[in-house]
Amino acid sequence: MPIGRRTFIAGASASIGLALTRPACAQSRIKIRDLYKTQAEFSAEAKAFAASREIITVPGFMAPPLKADASFFVLTQRPMAVCPFCETSADWPSDIVFVRTRDTVDAVAFNRPIITTGILELGEAKDEETGFVSLVRLVDAQFELI
Amino acid sequence: MKRLLVASALAGAMCANVAYAADQLPQANDSYFLAAQQTLQQKLMEQDNTNRAKNIILFVGDGMSIPTVTAARIFEGQKRGVDGESNSLIFGQFPNVALSKTYTHDAQIADSAPTASAMVTGVKLNNGTIGVSKEVARRDCEAQKEHPLTSIAAQAEEKGMSTGWISTARLTHATPAANYVHTADRNWESDSDLTEEAKAGGCKDIALQMIEWKEGGDGFEVAMGGGRRMFMDKTMEDPEDAGKMGQRSDGRDLPKEWVEANGAGAQYIWNQEQFNKLDPAKTKKVLGLFDRSHMEYEADRAKDAAGEPSLAEMTGKAIDILANNDKGFFLMVEAGRIDHAHHAGNAARALEDTVALNDAVKEAMGKVNLNDTLIIVTADHAHTMTISGYASRGNPILGLSEEKGDDGKPYTTLGYMNGPGALKDNLRADLTNVDTTDIDYLQQALVPMSSETHAGDDVAIFAAGPWSHLFKGVVEQNFIYHVMAHASKIQESMASK
Repeated sequence: MPIGRRTFIAGASASIGLALTRPACAQSRIKIRDLYKTQAEFSAEAKAFAASREIITVPGFMAPPLKADASFFVLTQRPMAVCPFCETSADWPSDIVFVRTRDTVDAVAFNRPIITTGILELGEAKDEETGFVSLVRLVDAQFELI
Repeated sequence: MKRLLVASALAGAMCANVAYAADQLPQANDSYFLAAQQTLQQKLMEQDNTNRAKNIILFVGDGMSIPTVTAARIFEGQKRGVDGESNSLIFGQFPNVALSKTYTHDAQIADSAPTASAMVTGVKLNNGTIGVSKEVARRDCEAQKEHPLTSIAAQAEEKGMSTGWISTARLTHATPAANYVHTADRNWESDSDLTEEAKAGGCKDIALQMIEWKEGGDGFEVAMGGGRRMFMDKTMEDPEDAGKMGQRSDGRDLPKEWVEANGAGAQYIWNQEQFNKLDPAKTKKVLGLFDRSHMEYEADRAKDAAGEPSLAEMTGKAIDILANNDKGFFLMVEAGRIDHAHHAGNAARALEDTVALNDAVKEAMGKVNLNDTLIIVTADHAHTMTISGYASRGNPILGLSEEKGDDGKPYTTLGYMNGPGALKDNLRADLTNVDTTDIDYLQQALVPMSSETHAGDDVAIFAAGPWSHLFKGVVEQNFIYHVMAHASKIQESMASK
């Protein structure tokens, strides 16, 4: 489906923190940049992952959280030093992923490489808890440090 | 006795000549020796060009430090499958080179605002200010109004020449803005960014100043780059990014106003298709805003939603339009995102954008005559990226050096003094199984900082064309303006207009 660039539409505030455990070795892996064919279209690989709802891994970085004890975070392709929701949406990168985690997230440094495991969802959806609207999500997710 | 001494000296000199005749040296047939001899002969044949520069093209690689140029030429060669170390960028073959001192009136290490202004106005300014003299402190609106400078673009307009600027950054960003703006704060890009004090004082935002810019002429002929949102009201939806709006608060649609003010032959474009349709022969003026913010990095350009032209494509079309004026032109071309990639600690994108600048220079070289066109390629300031270690000849420039650090871990040839590549309170990562040539890889850094900083090293000035031989030695950055003015005789022409 066609998508806009810099996808997130922020609502109120957010939070963060987490845990991890599920091993990331057996799943299919995709880089954030490979989720997109163009900024206006997801890649065939991403569409296939979303359709199959298989558990996949996505490497990246955790954007700085707004507050502690949340069960979501924003996964970025490259380190993003500022909280995406603290800035005007105009400057958000086009390639960020909303990650809804199983557990409360223990935030890590914005430039610490991580690998996130979860189920890929594509298309506009509003997160019930936070009110954030996203176009790319990993749900039932966990992460670990690389 | 005196004759004897002279004779003796002559004999000695002759013997010396015989003893060191090049073709008798053991290295005389060495390929390096022969290549350098060939270069020597070429240099001996070079003659100063003292023609008047009808046209001036100033290329600025934002943040293009000397290590960036070196790494880019290795990178470009390795991408083509040739020897990177001995490879040359097109501007690396220019006959004249100088070093540029980039400090500003109030800072040891510069930002892009006063440095770009130094190049196009001939004086040094305070950090954060554009197009105003050193008497203006940052954010001092009242002083801004009292101390404007006149850029070489404004002088060219007054002379009846055509003018243009191109950037992969926002056109309201510091470097392109130096051509047309007078502002006490580089961040006043739209009216929403002005302080209440600035608004009350009557200081205008940068986007508005660009659209209204005349300064003795009829305004710019070509302006292409990013920054669309600075020209649109926040109630106006962006044509490319669904759901995204403009940034202005004054209700104005500046591109529309600009087209209406400039009449037939003036076009506003914002995507690749419109760019491709642009006919230089029929285009009097063009405003191209290809992205809401900065244009894409060259490495990401293919994925842009509506498509956007390369820096080389924009340069070629700009020259075609500007060259319609027999009185000549001034054009600034900025590769604005070399700087952004460095700030992100991402050397690969910095090098890709430097190669894109090289391609733009190549495009220009194919369209102008160096007998009447002065081309300058320089940078506004440096960055902290270094090329270090003892990598073997041919080792990938983005790769690991062969040897390891004292911590037993490998390290990359390219690294940064500071930036996001440094982890706070963590040991250096082991790169043994890391693909450091990946486009998204961030080189390791020493000091942890969210954004890598500028650096204070001198940068290079490469020049070709009329009076480019004046670029030699170590010069002040603001000297660049003086060579451009001298070469084009722009002030004389203004007086006799």
